[in-house]
Amino acid sequence: MTISKENAVENARKDLAKRLKIDAGDVKEKAVEDADFPDMALGASEDDEMSGQMMTRGWRIKLEAQGQTFEYRADKNQVRAYKFKGKNYRV
Amino acid sequence: MNRNNIFIHLALAFVLVLVAAFAGQLNKWRKQWRPARFVPIEDKKKVASVEEISLSETTRSFGAPEILVKFKSGVSQDAIDRLTAERNDRVEDRIENADGWEAIDDFDNADAATLVKEYQQLPEVEFAEPNYEINLDEAEAGPLEPILPHDPQFNDQWALANSGQRGGKKGADISATRAWARTTGSEEVVVAVLDTGVDYNHEDLTENMWRRPEKMEPYHDNELGTIDDEFGFNAIDGSDPMDDNGHGTHCAGIIGAEGENEIGIAGVNWKVQIMPLKFMNASGSGSTKDAIEAINYVIDRKKAGVNVRIISASWGSTQKSRALGDVIRKAYENDILFVAAAGNSSVNNDRMPHYPSSYDSPNVVSVAALDRHDALASFSNWGAKSVAIAAPGVEILSTWLGNEYEEKSGTSMATPVVSGVAALILAEHPEMSVDDLKKKLLASTDPIAALKGKTITAGRINAAKALE
Repeated sequence: MTISKENAVENARKDLAKRLKIDAGDVKEKAVEDADFPDMALGASEDDEMSGQMMTRGWRIKLEAQGQTFEYRADKNQVRAYKFKGKNYRV
Repeated sequence: MNRNNIFIHLALAFVLVLVAAFAGQLNKWRKQWRPARFVPIEDKKKVASVEEISLSETTRSFGAPEILVKFKSGVSQDAIDRLTAERNDRVEDRIENADGWEAIDDFDNADAATLVKEYQQLPEVEFAEPNYEINLDEAEAGPLEPILPHDPQFNDQWALANSGQRGGKKGADISATRAWARTTGSEEVVVAVLDTGVDYNHEDLTENMWRRPEKMEPYHDNELGTIDDEFGFNAIDGSDPMDDNGHGTHCAGIIGAEGENEIGIAGVNWKVQIMPLKFMNASGSGSTKDAIEAINYVIDRKKAGVNVRIISASWGSTQKSRALGDVIRKAYENDILFVAAAGNSSVNNDRMPHYPSSYDSPNVVSVAALDRHDALASFSNWGAKSVAIAAPGVEILSTWLGNEYEEKSGTSMATPVVSGVAALILAEHPEMSVDDLKKKLLASTDPIAALKGKTITAGRINAAKALE
């Protein structure tokens, strides 16, 4: 199933709220920009994850909550939390 | 010299004259009874590239027309037929796409130079020249000359033939067209594409896909059980290795999209067998364990008799796995080359290794990416000690899901270029060991200034050199 930019942002908001154990309404969208990522894991591979080394067009999503900025990365196939507390996660 | 010797020499000379006269007559008879000439596809391919071939003036083949004549515009075909008949000649062929040119055959067995002179003097003739023999044997005719396929999107494949299209640097390519004068590949060579699977129904790939031979037992995996590996292997769940992402199909097309089929593109190999292996999911990522399972599959099939000699690995991460390194070495012990992407993080792999391309196994060839200007791609990793070679990897057109074609960039795209060249080498030298194959690849580059201090070879792979 192809993910749209709007869906990606919404999925990211919900995921961040869940990780922070807060209400999704408390997560603000700071910026969403087009980006080229270095691989098919969007430069956010999990431990023990190999990915295709193809440049991948997607979106860099920056969200704000609890006074901090969090980065998510997404493309038409997936949404990922980038270095959330030092680790990457597939959403 | 005594009298007896003189007689012996005279007798020998007389015999030689008789033999020569008889041979000439035989040739004349043979030409007169020659059936209409059929030009097979292979010969037409050579004809298609004649414009760029510097002709060697070697002896004509028996049966070829003696001269090519361009008649002036307005000279009718009847007039041409009459002119040739008056000279005991005939029009062998009208040359397509070259208005006014006729191939003229002579029944009197006159030499081409005499015929050219004769026709040049006719007022109806604009130009005449001998029908030189085109010989693609390098020893006789100099360096190999290019062969151009008739695949409609070939002009967009700058990696194979860079004519400066879209502002690129002319000649910044892998010299595929010259390599093809030597070989366009072999269906005896099997290349495993370890990736997201391959769309084996793609119309530009289907003829070059590996199928498990009927007599070969299906694969048995200790965890997945017996698997119907008719089309390859899916390490994720043992099901069909059909591609659900596109990445693997793209890599497969670079290695071996069918050439000269008048569809889409041409692969580095026009003929080859692509073995699809799926270990990455629809998003383009997979686990180390599944990569290991897939490599084990390749080794098993090799032992079962499949001539799989190359694994093309357009993937990786910065995490080192001892188990993955060990199975790649096991592939080496089974004479299998492992071509791997250097990675796309613009970093020096000597300091920040990228795996599997950085494993210290003798069969690993790490590949960096070049753009159409012969510059190292802005995203490409490098490494004077750890990255072996560079190949085109930016804006590479290849096959995609659903009979489509897309341009993609990455060391993912450079990797199958090198895998493809390795397959061409094996088409010419089937018995070559994996050690020699790697040596041959690394010795077959064009030096690129931008790669000095960036890769082991400091060069771009050159397919034509690889076949010398």
